[in-house]
Amino acid sequence: MKIGQAVKMAFKSLTTKKARSFLTMLGIVIGLAAVIALVTYAQGQNLAIKALYDSQGDNVLGVSAYSWGAGGSNSAAQQLYDYCLGLDDVVGVTPNGYVYDDLTISYGAKTLSRGGPGMGMAGMDAGAGGSNEDHYPSIRLGNDKFGLCSDYKLARGREFNYLEVQNMSQVCVLGADTAEFLFSFADPIDKTININGLPFRVVGVYQSKAAGVKVGTSEDAQGVIDSLKYMDKLLLLPSSMTRYFNNNEPIQEYLVKVRSASAVNEVITELNGFLAGAIPEDSGFYSVDSPSRYSQDLDKADALQQRFLGIIAAISLVVAGIGIMNIMLVTVTERTREIGIRKAIGAERRSIIVQFLIEAVMICGIGGLLGIAVGYVATAILTKASFGVVIMPGMGITVGAFFLSVALGVIFGLYPAIKASTLQPVEALRAE
Amino acid sequence: MLIHIEDVYKIYNEGKESEVRALNGVSLDIDQGEFVSIIGQSGSGKSTLMNILGCLDIPTYGDYRLDGTEITECTDRQLAHIRNRRIGFIFQGYNLIPVLDARENVELPLIYQGMGAELRRARTEEALARVGMLERQHHRPGEMSGGQQQRVAIARAIATHPSILMADEPTGALDSKTGLHVLELLHSLHRDGATVILITHDNSIAATADRIIRLADGEVVANGRREEVFA
Repeated sequence: MKIGQAVKMAFKSLTTKKARSFLTMLGIVIGLAAVIALVTYAQGQNLAIKALYDSQGDNVLGVSAYSWGAGGSNSAAQQLYDYCLGLDDVVGVTPNGYVYDDLTISYGAKTLSRGGPGMGMAGMDAGAGGSNEDHYPSIRLGNDKFGLCSDYKLARGREFNYLEVQNMSQVCVLGADTAEFLFSFADPIDKTININGLPFRVVGVYQSKAAGVKVGTSEDAQGVIDSLKYMDKLLLLPSSMTRYFNNNEPIQEYLVKVRSASAVNEVITELNGFLAGAIPEDSGFYSVDSPSRYSQDLDKADALQQRFLGIIAAISLVVAGIGIMNIMLVTVTERTREIGIRKAIGAERRSIIVQFLIEAVMICGIGGLLGIAVGYVATAILTKASFGVVIMPGMGITVGAFFLSVALGVIFGLYPAIKASTLQPVEALRAE
Repeated sequence: MLIHIEDVYKIYNEGKESEVRALNGVSLDIDQGEFVSIIGQSGSGKSTLMNILGCLDIPTYGDYRLDGTEITECTDRQLAHIRNRRIGFIFQGYNLIPVLDARENVELPLIYQGMGAELRRARTEEALARVGMLERQHHRPGEMSGGQQQRVAIARAIATHPSILMADEPTGALDSKTGLHVLELLHSLHRDGATVILITHDNSIAATADRIIRLADGEVVANGRREEVFA
């Protein structure tokens, strides 16, 4: 018997008992839909969290070097800086300082300050005027490589140049949010802002980190967006300015950008080796951190989560498969006489097996397609509700889900099919 | 000789207290082109004999040669092959598959042969036309009368051009008029060259055959022309 004929016959049998066929499929439909929706949802959530880690840039190391021994922190930090520049795999180093002092930053009528009762200027629009504390930037100290090392990209203007950093020039680079707050739609480049009464010339504006990332509105995802928005509130000053702030504390943290992921571990080893020599025990401490390592950890957690979901999926599909086996056994019993007739007129065992196997595979295959369709809809609704954007299941999981359902049909259809094929024609014909 | 069985036994639960000898040493020969009736009371073993002759069952002991093939030595698959190509079954309960229409039922044994669509179509229509059911080929069994269903069943039996037609009480479920039509159809197929074995408990139907074999308690008690058997 040819497969085409067998498929036609199987289809006929299924359509004769539509309600039963549909109910049998339902297990597969729900199982697959749930798997597809959950896996895609989890992937979307992980993408959101990963976006946060990745926003700090690839292959960046955070290095701290505190020293209170001879020469002081300043010298250890300076040595570290020089040492890093000498490493082939390091493409950039920047001091990474924060100004903790409360500053007042102003341009024209707009003022940013912390703790004040707003700016109280008549005629300002309420949104900008009343919430200036919300926009108070993180004031950071860096050098000409700050953008490279912190994964900020320039929207306008330029980074500091080397001389500006060396000479404590009164220049600054603004984050996207800060630039927008102070300048609205005007071009900030070469404008002068006031910081505690001192004039600083704006040389560059960074692109927004939050704008490019679409992770939506779920609580977690919103947290990610908030973090990214926070990073857009930035006022960057030359690192040499540190002596004006923080009680003249030296900067003890650096960001080191490594050329490639494969070199990260080697650079970590080298830096640890160097710092161990430069900062003897009892005279300070140091650390070398890799945000991209967190990202790798996250990948591992991700893989674990996927495996967990996979196990749940497997269980639900095995349950569905047992349902199919059960129904197929009932079908075989009900159709004992038909099997007898088929055998009497010359069906080989093989033909009977193929017939019932195809029926089982067809139930599962159609159930699989329906499950994928339902899964797509469920995924769209779920991700739209949680992340604000529709994330669709990948091709891999879709194709995988379909073949999985077909495989279920084969696995759980085999026993009933074999049982049907071993019926003795005489006894089968006697069945009512 | 088309059919040759010798000393055939069919014993159920052999050696136990409940042992049943459905066939108890049956021997008979049937020639190509004969019309033979097998008669007997219920429990006489005629259905068992029909199952064995039709290769649906194999004897516990004894030989069965069909057209030169030793049936008792055949595998399951070979038996299926023989049932498919050499034997056409006509059952009391028609045994059509309810979800298939007349045409599809007739096609079924040809499909199991692996016959190509063109030839299959021709054979199916030829068989349906022969029994006068071509115009109802798209009716399902549930939409046909008993006589019509039996005619479709006969079409299915003859579609493969088998060596033997085996009819087990073919008129048993039909009213006498329709039964006569079916019987007439079998005779007409016989006149066209078919070998027919008709199993029945009805003497008047059996009497239409050339030769009559009477079974009782699993043994052949009479075997000959109708004048001899019904003498």
